[in-house]
Amino acid sequence: MGIGEILSFGFIQRALIAGTLIAVLCSVLGVFLVLRRLSLIGDGLAHVTFGSVALSLIMGVNPLYVTVAAIPLVMLSSLGILKLTEKARIYGDAAIGIVSSLGIAGGIVLASVAGGFNVDLFSYLFGNILAVGNTDMIIAAILFAVVLLAVTFFYRDLFAITFDEDLAQCSGIRTTTINTVLVLMTALTVVLAMKVVGIMLISALLILPAVSALQVARSFKATIIASCCFAMVSVMIGIFGSFIMNLPTGGFIVLVNFMLFLLAFAWKYMRKSRI
Amino acid sequence: MKRMVFLVSLLLLTLLFASCRNKDVPAGGEKKLRVITTLFPLYDFAREVAGDRAEVILLLPPGMEPHGFEPKPEDLFRVSKADIFIFTDKYMEPWAVDLVKKVGNSKLLVVDAGKGAKFLPAVGADEHDGEKVDHGHDHGEGMDPHIWLDFANARQMVENIAGAMAVKDPANRKYYLDRAASYNKRLAALDERFREGLAGCATRQFLHGGHYAFGYLANRYGLNYKAAYAASANAEPTPRKIAGLITQIESDGLKYIFYEELITPTVAEAIARESGAKLLKLHGAHNIARDELEAGVTFISLMEKNLENLKVGLQCR
Amino acid sequence: MPVELLNIEGLWVRYNAAEVLRQISFRVNSGDYVGIVGPNGSGKSTLIKAALGLVGAESGKITLFGAPLDRFTDWRRIGYLPQRLRFFNPNFPATVEEIVGLGLLAGRRLPRKLTLEDRQTIEKTLELMGITDIRKRIIGELSGGQQQRVLLARAVVGGPELLILDEPTTALDPETRERFYSLLSNLNKEHGATVILVTHDTSSIGTYASRFIYVDKEIIFDGTFDDFCHSEEMTNLFGEYAQHLICHRH
Repeated sequence: MGIGEILSFGFIQRALIAGTLIAVLCSVLGVFLVLRRLSLIGDGLAHVTFGSVALSLIMGVNPLYVTVAAIPLVMLSSLGILKLTEKARIYGDAAIGIVSSLGIAGGIVLASVAGGFNVDLFSYLFGNILAVGNTDMIIAAILFAVVLLAVTFFYRDLFAITFDEDLAQCSGIRTTTINTVLVLMTALTVVLAMKVVGIMLISALLILPAVSALQVARSFKATIIASCCFAMVSVMIGIFGSFIMNLPTGGFIVLVNFMLFLLAFAWKYMRKSRI
Repeated sequence: MKRMVFLVSLLLLTLLFASCRNKDVPAGGEKKLRVITTLFPLYDFAREVAGDRAEVILLLPPGMEPHGFEPKPEDLFRVSKADIFIFTDKYMEPWAVDLVKKVGNSKLLVVDAGKGAKFLPAVGADEHDGEKVDHGHDHGEGMDPHIWLDFANARQMVENIAGAMAVKDPANRKYYLDRAASYNKRLAALDERFREGLAGCATRQFLHGGHYAFGYLANRYGLNYKAAYAASANAEPTPRKIAGLITQIESDGLKYIFYEELITPTVAEAIARESGAKLLKLHGAHNIARDELEAGVTFISLMEKNLENLKVGLQCR
Repeated sequence: MPVELLNIEGLWVRYNAAEVLRQISFRVNSGDYVGIVGPNGSGKSTLIKAALGLVGAESGKITLFGAPLDRFTDWRRIGYLPQRLRFFNPNFPATVEEIVGLGLLAGRRLPRKLTLEDRQTIEKTLELMGITDIRKRIIGELSGGQQQRVLLARAVVGGPELLILDEPTTALDPETRERFYSLLSNLNKEHGATVILVTHDTSSIGTYASRFIYVDKEIIFDGTFDDFCHSEEMTNLFGEYAQHLICHRH
């Protein structure tokens, strides 16, 4: 089947558009998260979403609005992670681990207490890039706009804080505010984008493009741009490639991301040994 | 800060306490035979056979999709307190053997409900039109686990269950065997209704935007079944498969596509949206929703609803 | 007319119930070149961090440019070079240019974009620090001395009136160290910057600083270097040999 024929399918078009939008916004956030050792926050917040969706269902929230109802609790958890890294003097990965385990344990206990649900929780949370609907497209577009506007507006502050928080504070930057903006946006992204393309993709897109970019980029700005490019390329190759090879798309995109990482790493290695 | 710690601990303790309630402890009185089953069809068969002389418990919590189920310590506990543990077949519950070993109760009678059933090979997601390529390896040896959707298999399962209950509770032997026979008559009648109902339909193409669950049903009544993804609901569809289903709907002029119970039907919806087909629900009876459990649905009632929807979907007279 | 830039009164800092700084009081006026010296663990870095609000104090009053610390917002006027970056990642993907540019953030309105004029200022600063040729290099790939010059460039690019440096020369070889000090002296004398320098290296203090503060959890001495070396009290406190070491390491 030629590219043209593949593109004639509506679900492929929507996968490309929504996938690219989400890939770009995740890869941009990812640069800051990876450099601050918060890479697994996507995974961690997904676990919290599981718990908060369970809680919302128990509280009798209409299943249609459960995803939206889960957002506040997930945002609170992301702030909790931030607080733990500040006050309890533990690194980001441990803080994420704590909040994440709480989320999933809470969800399981709640599920037990509730005596079961009317929908399978996991299938409820996880979308599929091949099944993107019109609401999903709108969500992806809004999320994209919000995240990119915020990152552009706060770019130099985010850069300063990521480089060194003390120096940033001495430049008069309100570090707490900026950090809060970063994690809240991540929380929003995880809850909403997960429903559009599933957790495996979100987790991977928050980490892999950024890490690949770090191998090759020669400046901070270049890192952000490279991260976006890796992400976009992975989605495009992933969608077309999975069609041609008859493989599940989500998993294939993640594999492509990993292969791009290997290429980037090889490039860096070759460049180093040439010197 | 200290107050936060106190409140959080209080919350955790409350949750812990609440989750410890043992809902399954009998109210006291005579000791009835205790049967615990994994999936809903076994539960329903067992409670039909048991009548009021034995107690039947469903292991899987309502609403949970069973293909990804992993038993928790609480589940081990409940199984250890039972007299009979019934599972479907080793392909559906590969964790059952391990669970039984962990429970270590030598007085527990373990029943493989699928013994003597006719198995069909599992079908992988990469089946091409007409040509079935056997790549399905979701459960190890490549057999389709959904045996209960062939009603002849279902009758065999009822017999296996009744036999086990008769062994463990010989005093009520005749009672169980009689009830099993009478239920099996009802299953035979159901089978006949399906056979008649699906005899003259506008199409024999049976498309499902979910996982490959209805193979046995399709096979029994001569339907041509295609599903969006393979035998486990945790599998993911490939774009080619979805494109194939959309194309088939358009070229064969099909009006309906089916979706399944409990799973959010996003893939079926996507296919329906693009092809213009309408959606109809088919209940695979793996497990039921909490509301359904409370409303008292039965295997037969679910299958009758399925027959109705199949007749609409395949446009049968 | 000397202007008071930094005023610390009665500062006490605790860390996990242990006293780190006790009853610290001193004042820095414009044009001063203050050297802060003390043994390891004397609280010198903590003193700097407390003055900048990076570390909380148990009690005491801190005023910057006449404003109380918690209400101070004119960070453009201060350039800070910390002893080490908090989480220094040698692979941090930023060029020398980008990092020096970070020094121009203070006092700007969001989104703090860089103008053409800013780029020229950055150019001049790179030249001043002698790092123009490495402007596109990644910071992690540079030598210790180069990195220090980059961070110093970052601290001065905004033209601050007050420069605070915490042990900037520990990782440098003697030649680079000398160049660094003459640069600082130049900034102080020609450009009128006030310098507060925390260091182990007492010899430089004698040569360059106008004021000498010896800290060991408290202020042991505050005056000129010469006074320190001729003070009987200090001889009694340190012992003749130690005092001699400090004063004659030229």
